[in-house]
Amino acid sequence: SIPTSIPSDADAEQLQREQKARSQLRENFLRCLLSMTGKKVEFDMHENVKVEATFGASDIDVLNFQVSDLHTPIGVQKEALIRCQDVISYTFEI
Amino acid sequence: MQSEWPLLGPSMWSRYVSKQVMVTVENKELRGWLQTVDPVSASLVLVNFKKEGGAVVQVVMGHAVRQVQALKVADQETAERIQACFLPPMIQNMSP
Repeated sequence: SIPTSIPSDADAEQLQREQKARSQLRENFLRCLLSMTGKKVEFDMHENVKVEATFGASDIDVLNFQVSDLHTPIGVQKEALIRCQDVISYTFEI
Repeated sequence: MQSEWPLLGPSMWSRYVSKQVMVTVENKELRGWLQTVDPVSASLVLVNFKKEGGAVVQVVMGHAVRQVQALKVADQETAERIQACFLPPMIQNMSP
């Protein structure tokens, strides 16, 4: 018969490695978000739209960004939420 | 076009960390040292060091990624610099 313990052990080890990699990547990303707080961030959106704002926070699953002083083509929005689905990339300096 | 990038998983993403990558999005190619990948959104954190000190950080949203290509591996010093980018000053390596 085919032993089932070996593959399941291997799976457990593999899972543990994945979890470790995941936690390291996530920790670094959270540190990146943290360092962005209060900084001027340029958002590159779809349709070649670029907007600038002061970064506040992101929700845990990265669906929305809370920003202040959002410079839009039709004026400055004091407080705003940016839907992450509309964003291609965002840039800031450290 | 759906990219496979968000589906790769932590082990595969880790292989690109501390490498210079070229990320293809909608209509352009972005380059930088890969600092990390958010395992939740598959977003890539790219770092480009400036000559005068400091760095430009560009985060590319995972959903916008079309393709990721590794260009070169960072040397020891650069790799340390990349990984120290967002660490609190207390535990960053002191540079002369």
